[in-house]
Amino acid sequence: MNDFKALSEAVNKGDNKTALVEVQKSLDAGSSAEEILNKGLITAMNEVGDKFSKGLIFVPQMLRSAKTMQECTNLLQPFFQEGDITSKGKVLIGTVKGDLHDIGKNLVSMMLEGAGFTITDLGVDIPPEKFVEKTKEVKPDIIGLSALLSTTMPAMAQTIEALQKAGLRDQVKIIIGGAPVTEKYAQQINADSYAPDAGSAVNKAKALLGIS
Amino acid sequence: MKSSEVPGFRPRLKVLNREQVLAIHSAALEILEKTGFKMEHPGALRMLLNAGCKVSGQDWVRLPVKLVEDALRSAPRQIDLYDQKGNKTMPLVNGNYFYGTGSDATFTVDIETGQRRRSTLKDAANFARLIDGLENMDFAMSMSNPVDAPIEDIYVYVFAEMIKNTNKPIVCIADSGRDIAKIYQIACQVVGSEEALQQKPFILNYSEAISPLRFPENVMERLIFCAEKKIPVCLPSGSNAGGGAPITLAGAMALGIAENLIGLVVHQLAGKGSPFLFGPNVSTLDMKSTIVSYGCPEWSLTQAALADMRDELYGLPIWAYAGATDAKLMDAQAGAEAMFSIVTAMLSRANLIHDVGFLEYGSTSSLEMVTMANELVAMSRFFTAGITVNEETMALEAIERVATGAPGSIFLMDDHTFEHFMQAQFLPKLLDRSRYDSWEQSGSFDLYKRCNIEAKRILSEQQVEPKSTEVLKGIEQILQMR
Repeated sequence: MNDFKALSEAVNKGDNKTALVEVQKSLDAGSSAEEILNKGLITAMNEVGDKFSKGLIFVPQMLRSAKTMQECTNLLQPFFQEGDITSKGKVLIGTVKGDLHDIGKNLVSMMLEGAGFTITDLGVDIPPEKFVEKTKEVKPDIIGLSALLSTTMPAMAQTIEALQKAGLRDQVKIIIGGAPVTEKYAQQINADSYAPDAGSAVNKAKALLGIS
Repeated sequence: MKSSEVPGFRPRLKVLNREQVLAIHSAALEILEKTGFKMEHPGALRMLLNAGCKVSGQDWVRLPVKLVEDALRSAPRQIDLYDQKGNKTMPLVNGNYFYGTGSDATFTVDIETGQRRRSTLKDAANFARLIDGLENMDFAMSMSNPVDAPIEDIYVYVFAEMIKNTNKPIVCIADSGRDIAKIYQIACQVVGSEEALQQKPFILNYSEAISPLRFPENVMERLIFCAEKKIPVCLPSGSNAGGGAPITLAGAMALGIAENLIGLVVHQLAGKGSPFLFGPNVSTLDMKSTIVSYGCPEWSLTQAALADMRDELYGLPIWAYAGATDAKLMDAQAGAEAMFSIVTAMLSRANLIHDVGFLEYGSTSSLEMVTMANELVAMSRFFTAGITVNEETMALEAIERVATGAPGSIFLMDDHTFEHFMQAQFLPKLLDRSRYDSWEQSGSFDLYKRCNIEAKRILSEQQVEPKSTEVLKGIEQILQMR
């Protein structure tokens, strides 16, 4: 019986060296990759996320934990079996057309990844057509749209319209965020959700997909 | 007897020594020469290339020190901003400091209901009118990102509202070359011609590059437009410690200064001798909420440091912030944070000081907060003036009169008091010093409530000299242009 206590502690501390050693030990002891991921890494990251949302730890500590988890997941990659559930869901994310700001979007990506989502990050200044094209290709569960400027907010609406026209709107959930964005605006442009910060983006994403 | 003046000293804040100044400057130059930057405006890229920069890949530029030196030499050491009637009210030079509002708040605290709600054009109008009526506020910014203006012309609309509601100088923002041209057209109509605006500019354009080291096309378009038209401009990037820049303040400053120097070089290549207000925005990214803080000591510290760098090295007037807070209400935190930045900005002699009146890390504007800040500036001004030391203020004769005079002699009765009290004391208007009973009798109001009443009074009573019908018609035409 492996309780992954040492692994969990290492992820919590963001101690990647110890975490990698612990993952290897668990593999050697016969734990499956899926078990290590779900019972070890994701459980630990949930604790980290919880501490973060309670204001007990700071962003760089949370990100270090997420990075530790990522390295561990990479180590596990070859050991996953077909049929293993290794992702909470797929997220396609990008800063909308005309906007070149990416700090917020990158932070959201990191946090979603830490929470077990698979991220496809398109980058900045992404036109609606590109979101449509990539949605067809990646088949995400969630699309995240980011804008820092009030002048680029309309590009969020245009992106959602484009997805609608392409017949893809009903296949995805859409979360928007960024400094000028409000809950009301999200409703206006037919987004499913609005996240005021990176921490709540994770919670909203989980809520949209009905997972805890 | 002629009174002899003792050489005076005015309180002055210094936070860097010369070695530190030179070290941060060298680091900035190293960023320009070794790291380089991304210049996405083809015209600016061409100018830099012709001037001797090395370009690698499509748009990655490395900039030789000599260009920085040339730009620092050709940029004017003094920028004079005028009010809309042609009076020189803001000579940005040496130890002069001027305060004003900020741009683009998504929300405002409604002055009637006290509720936070989306900003509107009417709010831009109200803030401009309030600024017009406050004696310690020197320039207006929109304070509003109005929900009720066409988004592609949002900055033109708020500019028009400001023009209609104040005659003080205006710091304006724009999105691209297209809307800055419309704003420019309106400004020219207000003063009569392009030449008049060039001679007595009343606008300054605020624009931002993206940290780290990215110069988008639309941002450079505005910068070049202003350089060519000789409109004063500033280009602080958001090199906030931990966000756009490294977490340590020295590195964040080096990066922000490097970015500013790039802007300055392009600006001077596009319009040699055009006015450029120097200075990055180096606040911090909060490590819990990831907001950019408007109440932190770091921002005040980095702009004090920038003032030292100006004095030691750059010689250009600088851009700064003060009078804002991260608090959601105009509460004790708001007062503490506002005062901290207001007094330190003044003590370090930052030249153009914006963002007065922001709550919620710049997302919400408050008319009451601006009104309070007006008084905090007055208080700081009193402190910064120092103590006048001469025979008259030493008052030895008054001391002798009262000490040796008839029984019952008091300073309050002495002519010296009558003659000097208006200058010798700071006389607050909103900060309450009344005795308890009279405070209670007049409603037991706190400072927020008193500021609310005062702001409402100014908004209803302030007579803003109106623009001519011709100018107003011109503005309408420009707003209708698509």
